[in-house]
Amino acid sequence: MSDESKPTPGGLLNEAARSLHPSAVKDLLSLGVCERCILRLVTVTATFDSDLATVSSSTLRGWLGSGVEEAASPEPSICIVCLGVLQFVFSDAKQTLVKSDHVAWITDLVKQQGHEFDSFVLEVSLPSTISENERAVLLYLKGKYSDEAWLQSEKVSVKDALKVLVLDPLRASLGAKSDSSSFHIRLTYSQASDEAQGLSETKHERKKRKTDEENGSNCMSENPFKKVSEPCILSVHCNKMPIFFGGRYFKYSRNVSQSRWIIDDERMGEASVEEIIGGSILPACLGDSYKFHAAGREDIDVRMLGSGRPFLIEVQNSRKCPSQQSLTEIEEKINNSEKKLVGVKDLKFIGSECWAMMREGEAEKQKQYAALVWISRPLEEEDCNSVSSMKELKILQKTPIRVLHRRSQLERERTIHWMKVEKIKGNAHYFLLHLCTQAGTYIKEFVHGDLGRTTPSMGSILGCRAEIIQLDVTDVKMGDS
Amino acid sequence: MEIQKTEAAKNPETDDTIESTKQKQPEEELEHCDEEDELRSLLLSDIGDLPLSPPSATQVNFVSYFITDFTKPGHDQYIYRHANGLCVVGLAPTHVAFKDQGGITNIDFNVGKSDRSVLKVSGKRKKNAMRSESNTALCKVSTANDSYIVRCCVKGSLLEVNERLINQPQLLNSSADREGYIAIIMPRPADWTKNKESLITLEEYKEKKEVSL
Repeated sequence: MSDESKPTPGGLLNEAARSLHPSAVKDLLSLGVCERCILRLVTVTATFDSDLATVSSSTLRGWLGSGVEEAASPEPSICIVCLGVLQFVFSDAKQTLVKSDHVAWITDLVKQQGHEFDSFVLEVSLPSTISENERAVLLYLKGKYSDEAWLQSEKVSVKDALKVLVLDPLRASLGAKSDSSSFHIRLTYSQASDEAQGLSETKHERKKRKTDEENGSNCMSENPFKKVSEPCILSVHCNKMPIFFGGRYFKYSRNVSQSRWIIDDERMGEASVEEIIGGSILPACLGDSYKFHAAGREDIDVRMLGSGRPFLIEVQNSRKCPSQQSLTEIEEKINNSEKKLVGVKDLKFIGSECWAMMREGEAEKQKQYAALVWISRPLEEEDCNSVSSMKELKILQKTPIRVLHRRSQLERERTIHWMKVEKIKGNAHYFLLHLCTQAGTYIKEFVHGDLGRTTPSMGSILGCRAEIIQLDVTDVKMGDS
Repeated sequence: MEIQKTEAAKNPETDDTIESTKQKQPEEELEHCDEEDELRSLLLSDIGDLPLSPPSATQVNFVSYFITDFTKPGHDQYIYRHANGLCVVGLAPTHVAFKDQGGITNIDFNVGKSDRSVLKVSGKRKKNAMRSESNTALCKVSTANDSYIVRCCVKGSLLEVNERLINQPQLLNSSADREGYIAIIMPRPADWTKNKESLITLEEYKEKKEVSL
């Protein structure tokens, strides 16, 4: 009837099953170990392939021993080693036994979470008592059948066995590949509460067992072969690795902070760059949350103009990835909003090069500013000349008083690469100061001197009192751009 | 308000960029100029009516408190408290030391048990800071006739003293409320609340001392 020359998968298994040590099999069956666990524990070769899944447990039982008495109860009991995991017996979150096919049930739960994906990685988490149970059973077997060949070989773990059994059917059912992917499906088995207490070892028991094993005695704590009454609870959780979007932002308002700023339940400023941009991208990704990263920052009352500042939005557990078209629409929506607090440029999806991009805008880079300065005496032509002739001016800044409460008391040397004075017609006490400085320079303190703690300062250079009225960032240089 | 560009002061950066754009197609150059113009108009958009004398950084960022006749008559000091809790302390304009001929000639931080000018506070948590009570001596200022002890007036950790005063004591005479500050102290919130009760505001100070500031 079947093709004799080609061995069927079932046939190979059949042979393997028949080669098992019959009395060991009989023993384990009567203890309450399931058929798949027996195959795992009692084979010489560690072969446990997906074909096993297609074979039903009753067929397995038939192969395992013709002389074995059928168990009294028609329904097989829960395995004392794998707690029903390899028997595909489990309950849902409400602790109701799941009767439907396990692959269909898992597929349903995955689909409910709404992710778009074409590949996935399967993760399995099992209760620790399973490995303890396995250890106990192997110890028992060693005691009874000492030094048999099949006892020495390394056993396929319950976790690996489950993965093998479930991966192919799940692949087919979800219509996806299972190679390296940023989308993870995690199957978590946990014990029903009353079981958990009974079987897990206390720390003391574990120590005792380990020293006993070393000393060669067979210690079997209490009753490791107690019947398992409740199956495990299986929960399915999907998680997508974070995705990144990048671009440059502009801040046109002097009342908007870069990130959400709340003191004593009160928000500082009327909005934040982080929330305006992140709040628009998050819904498009159907994600759980977002994180905002920027290449440097500016005070709430400083505008970010010119080339804009590079930023990244990291979205956790996104369900879908918006197209470039949607991103462009989001960018336009922000730029055309009524209040015009924040602007965005070049918003796009960023791959693994994101962190390199951020590092680019950080410590080594130069920043350019425009400050509106007031001085206590009228501006002279000489002042413009003397200021613009200063190139690579080195200044020493003590930690500004306004941040001294949360920063170390340090003296920092910084360089002002160049400065340019732009007169304001009709007003000799005010002028626009354009300057290009090393990253990490406190501009406000350079202008007003911070009670003499920044030297030289605009005031000391011009020999009078100087105050800064407003500040704008006009360029954040990145590489050669 | 119009803006006048100073001819002499053209920075090298803009020179270079304008040079390179001239070599490219004319439309790129136009774009570059447009961006610059847009930036200019943004930079100047807020320049409406500029006050003749704007408030100083100290006035904007600090709240001024004063204490008068502290432990001795005529010992008037100011405490400028920043929004972050830090207090800058120094001599108020009506301090008796200023009344002496020639003003203050010397300052010595070596009072009490240690020299205040050698303390070094480290780290964000400000370890090794000297803990002071409000009447802890900070320094001694001397004039031609006399010398006066200046005290902390605030209970807290002494973060720094103004060492520049050692070489330039005249700063106390010229700008005691800015470059001539004496020390920065960080009080604990609970200590400040109690301390505050013995201090008076700027308005009260002006009235009391009949000074116009």
